Amino acid sequence: MSVLETFPDAPVPTEKELKARKNVLLQFVRFVALNLKMVAMINKAHH
Amino acid sequence: MARTVILGAGIAGHTAALHLRRMLGKEHEVVVVAPNSKWNWIPSNIWVGVGQMSVKQVTFPLAPIYKRKGIEFHQALGIEIHPEGSPTVKRPHVSVKYTDPARAGQVANLEYDFLINATGPKLNFGATPGLGPDGHTWSVCTAGHAVETAKAFEDVVAKLKAGQHQTLLIGMGHGTCTCQGAAFEYTFNVEHELVKEGVRDNADVIYITNENQLGDFGMDGMNFGHKDQIIPSQTFTESLFHERGVKAILSAHIEKVEPGVAFYEQVDGTKNSQAFDFAMLLPPFRGVDMKAFDANDNDITAEVFAPSGFMKVDADYTAKPYEEWKASDWPKTYQSVKYDNVWAAGIAFAPPHQMSRPRTSPNGTVIAPAPPRTGMPSGVIGRAVAQSIAERIKHGAQGRVHTASMADMGAACIASAGKGWRTGQAAAMTVFPIIPDKEKYGELGRDTKETYGEIGLSAHWMKVMLHYLFIYKAKARPFWYLIPE
Repeated sequence: MSVLETFPDAPVPTEKELKARKNVLLQFVRFVALNLKMVAMINKAHH
Repeated sequence: MARTVILGAGIAGHTAALHLRRMLGKEHEVVVVAPNSKWNWIPSNIWVGVGQMSVKQVTFPLAPIYKRKGIEFHQALGIEIHPEGSPTVKRPHVSVKYTDPARAGQVANLEYDFLINATGPKLNFGATPGLGPDGHTWSVCTAGHAVETAKAFEDVVAKLKAGQHQTLLIGMGHGTCTCQGAAFEYTFNVEHELVKEGVRDNADVIYITNENQLGDFGMDGMNFGHKDQIIPSQTFTESLFHERGVKAILSAHIEKVEPGVAFYEQVDGTKNSQAFDFAMLLPPFRGVDMKAFDANDNDITAEVFAPSGFMKVDADYTAKPYEEWKASDWPKTYQSVKYDNVWAAGIAFAPPHQMSRPRTSPNGTVIAPAPPRTGMPSGVIGRAVAQSIAERIKHGAQGRVHTASMADMGAACIASAGKGWRTGQAAAMTVFPIIPDKEKYGELGRDTKETYGEIGLSAHWMKVMLHYLFIYKAKARPFWYLIPE
């Protein structure tokens, strides 16, 4: 018999957050922001 | 004229080969030895494994690229290195066995002035009886494995549609595995596909791992800076598991797999089993089985390679407890500990120790995630090694030695949680530095401004973009070198 964990106390995203994660316009903004963040990270990695 | 031989054409070896060829004149030879005829963008294998990409989309033949770039290519397996030459061949050389169908099984000696060992890992399915495609579980480690896994997954979906309950077990096939990120991605891509197919309610998706807690990822966990808060990667990951209804078995070492059941021990010493209808379990890694010999043909493998089979480089391999580990233990130049014209790049170098705290069960079973060495550091290391060799060729001993310590390097990881232009999701995570440095960054070990996690559709778009970008780069298309590793 296995020991399964289910994490009932973990925070779950609100409805608003779940919608935001799929909102194309908002996610496009996040896409640009993430790219800038990654570029900064890459610059640090290639010093 | 100098001749550089590169063993391996994965991310580290292929990156090193292309940069060396770009940096050196045509009078210098760049030689690549790799057992596979095709290059594989491994991070997308998880999509092949759920039937969302074809093998052709994640692989391409190496020979035409190398012909175009003027790189000599041998489809062969490196089996021995002779860094001092041998009684019959005076110059340093590697012995290779051809896997190219035209010369299959033939052995040849390839002489070198400089050698890069970028052989990657041996997929050690044999460490766990019954593990792997030749046993009772599936894998996404290679594109070939992933396509077989996709067929098995398709069967599971068909059974679910026929009303049969199915249990899917995904994760780590041994207590010393690495690549938790890949297993995490495959878990959530499977879950996503089950939802898309309308059969999620009848399926149990279980993640089994050697991590002591979710979000460890073999990196001792991370602490994401988010506005004014610090969010541990454990909380971040548990939240996703809760949201998507994925169960987990933690701190587990799988002892053996029999048809439809995995037997495992947890860190508290208890032994249990988990039945499954479908299992994708990753193997532990070890170095490829390569031997080393001195000028008199004496076996010096133990001096050149660690017991794990990975090559010893400029790291501090002194055995010490977790509390005494330091960022400075990690290598900087990746030069062999014994020969200064030999380097190990990517997964091929022996790490000094894990990043996560290793644990042992009361029965003496080691449950210790191995340190991940993902694409970004492998590429950066491959390029740094190529730069060091180019400097040595151009300027001799005065040439600059380039460094790429994972203790000074950040990494970006996009972990897919489902594919789809409008419905896809991924976790974008950045970490700086990769190796925790408590002396520099305090108890958390990393810069919490640069260590960041976010879930959303945008991260999925990034994963897709990186797929096309890195395949473009690997094909050495125009201006490929402007794309960073």
